Amino acid sequence: MENIIEIEHLNKCFGSVKAVQDLSFRVKKGEFFAFLGVNGAGKSTTISILCGQLEKDSGKVYVCGKDADRAIGEIARKIGVVFQNSLLDRPLTVRQNLQSRAALYGITGKRFERRLEELSKLLDFSDLLNRAVGKLSGGQRRRIDIARALFHQPEILILDEPTTGLDPQTRKLLWNVIDALRQTTDMTVFLTTHYMEEAADADYVVILDSGKIAAEGTPLDLKNRFTGDYITVYGEREAFDFGYPTQTLREGVRVCVPNTAAATELILAHPERFVDYEIVKGKMDDVFLAVTGKQLSGGNEK
Amino acid sequence: MNTFFQLTRRNLRMFFKDKGMFFSSLITPVILLVLYATFLAKVYKDSFLSALPDGLAIEESLIDATVAGQLISSLLAVSCVTIAFCSNLLMIGDKASGAIRDLTVSPVKRSTLAFSYFTASAASTLIVTFTALALSLVYLSVQGWYLSFLDVVCVALDVLVLTLFGTALSSCIHFFLNTNGQASAVGTIVSAGYGFICGAYMPISNFGAGLQKVLSFLPGTYGTSLVRNHMLRGVFAQMGSVGFPEEVISGIRASIDCDLSFFGHQISIGAMYAVMIGSVLLFAGIFVLFHIVARRKAIR
Repeated sequence: MENIIEIEHLNKCFGSVKAVQDLSFRVKKGEFFAFLGVNGAGKSTTISILCGQLEKDSGKVYVCGKDADRAIGEIARKIGVVFQNSLLDRPLTVRQNLQSRAALYGITGKRFERRLEELSKLLDFSDLLNRAVGKLSGGQRRRIDIARALFHQPEILILDEPTTGLDPQTRKLLWNVIDALRQTTDMTVFLTTHYMEEAADADYVVILDSGKIAAEGTPLDLKNRFTGDYITVYGEREAFDFGYPTQTLREGVRVCVPNTAAATELILAHPERFVDYEIVKGKMDDVFLAVTGKQLSGGNEK
Repeated sequence: MNTFFQLTRRNLRMFFKDKGMFFSSLITPVILLVLYATFLAKVYKDSFLSALPDGLAIEESLIDATVAGQLISSLLAVSCVTIAFCSNLLMIGDKASGAIRDLTVSPVKRSTLAFSYFTASAASTLIVTFTALALSLVYLSVQGWYLSFLDVVCVALDVLVLTLFGTALSSCIHFFLNTNGQASAVGTIVSAGYGFICGAYMPISNFGAGLQKVLSFLPGTYGTSLVRNHMLRGVFAQMGSVGFPEEVISGIRASIDCDLSFFGHQISIGAMYAVMIGSVLLFAGIFVLFHIVARRKAIR
């Protein structure tokens, strides 16, 4: 797969604060790429530079093979951005907002009406077209934000913490739409999120800490490298003493082992104790904690 | 072109959705007109009469028309600029709300964006300033009407040019502001000071020679003089036809800045228009340049 985004030795300082330090990574075409980090880790700074909205100190950014220093106009046509907060005009209606934003890409008249119809069906907002954006609920407004980002059919969809504060139903709807689009259009999705379960579905994850890459890889690779496995033994009441940490649960006991091989070895050595059990890999939260020493969940890092 | 049209339409919609801002802009010249007529008309009239040579008979309506012409020319000269500063707030609002990021993440040219802000702001300000002009003409017709159709057309042109000047100037200054509070502070300073430096509150001829030279470098001075010339042309013609000595009329014209000079050279009406239109083009060009430079800086 070809690289659709290439970032090389990117640096950006705000006064004495080094927001991004020697950042280099690649995103492959059609990939679901997740960018993880606590607030202030440098995620939004990187996105702002990628979109040509912020001056970088040094480094190179290539999008779709184009140098962002020279072809930001062309790059802008290939990128759709859903910002952390809705940046649509709250006093204007959904239709008026989308009309003005579509015109930025030269989409007007019948082309606008056709695309509006497609997106309003896809994101289920046909009944909201004549309502002021400021009067919509958070979930409804997010759907319009996504429609705005998708209006010009971008090759790359950048989602900057898109589901923060949304109800589970709207989150599910948004991910269903994005999954469907990825399958039908080969669109690349670049996500920053605080929800670890969203990152767990990514093809590739970069964890950012204090402006530097702390770890990167596929979720499986990261879990294998930075977390162990958990064996949950149901129906057990007695504590296990196999030399691994255990935790007593309501339905049984959970044993933390370094990896799947260790789990297999333990089960084979003590088959009488493992009658009703399951093995699961560590979660992305555990990876994040192991890599950065910080907990991250739902926007509240500790 | 479609992009420019849609962006301008969006900017105008945003302006008219804020009904408080629209009506406060609209009511400002009305309040000024009432205040001028209530408190200043008598002062101006007494001052005008005391400056006339003894024994010169003059119709009451001609005096009233002269005073009213001077008052409303001052009002329009100030309003066109101060209202532009009050209504040209969308660019700052877009920065405060973050909408500017949503606009600039697109491939739209910064010059298109800048022109759309300028055009929408000029259009919304023109609605208010032409309303002020209409009210002023109604007031003038009550006090004494000596204007020809051409005078009215010229005054309308003056208001147009002054409004564009105010919009271009406010756009350049507002480009550097990020909050409505900052814009409000700038608007207050401009409202308080502009009337003095453009010769609206007090004729520049009343100032010292040094200050007159300094003020002759400011384009707004010529804008005020244009409105005043066209508002009072009919009055001066009437004075001439009823036997006012030419020296008296020249004296009045000079005392209320109808005749301006730049380092001893008399400035013609054509030159005044050239200064004003040149200033509009210059400031509008600088405003567009600011946007382009900001874009280049961001991607450097």
